[in-house]
Amino acid sequence: MPYYRCAVPKDSIPYDRRAAIAKAFTDVHCGATGAPRSFVHVVFDEADDRWDTPYFIDGGNRAGRPEAKKRELLEGLTAAFIEHSGVDPSEVGGRITEGPASWTMEGGKILPEPGEETEEWYHHDQRIGAAAAAG
Amino acid sequence: MTAIDYACTMQEGQIGPDVRERLAQGLRRVSADILGPDAADAPVRFIDIPKGFGFRGGEPSSTSLVRGTAGEPLEQPLRERLLNAIQDMWLETAGCTTDDLVATVRDP
Repeated sequence: MPYYRCAVPKDSIPYDRRAAIAKAFTDVHCGATGAPRSFVHVVFDEADDRWDTPYFIDGGNRAGRPEAKKRELLEGLTAAFIEHSGVDPSEVGGRITEGPASWTMEGGKILPEPGEETEEWYHHDQRIGAAAAAG
Repeated sequence: MTAIDYACTMQEGQIGPDVRERLAQGLRRVSADILGPDAADAPVRFIDIPKGFGFRGGEPSSTSLVRGTAGEPLEQPLRERLLNAIQDMWLETAGCTTDDLVATVRDP
């Protein structure tokens, strides 16, 4: 977590734009929450057409953040999507749903609640980087 | 009502059909061990994310997501036992590391 799923029409967004959106989403999320970058998942789904707008950001986050923070996140994600996709803003919708952190295990550990992260949790990126370097 | 059902989302081409079958069997086995015999026939779906459509940390992803939805609310210690068992089974069967797996067990 977080898990951001972008519903998009088939063949509407080429790879380089998807990659730019994924990077921008990671910047937005980590800038707003301080989460390690390696925790941010972004997926594009060309088969999901159940939304009111052709492009839809369906975010899943840990529960427990203030409403203002959730608004900041969704506004930042939406702006990033529009900027990097080139899509008209009227065609983009989004939402963020939440679930208890304790329902999820990532990196071998149960996720901490927002505000209860340990120092070690913030170093997750370094651990992944070291593992990748070691092959 | 099923005891639990699973949706496993993985990056295309990373885990072959034979390993998927063993993963599905493993999910049913550990679920039955922890939740009871009703979980022995838990439905397991696999969903592929096409290459170039999944990212983690802004880079192409190699992570699989196992999402279980329990048939009834679970006490947290039971949930954690199940998550640990899922992780151990998945890592051994798929030959990946803890950083390649996100596992969730939700209440209904």
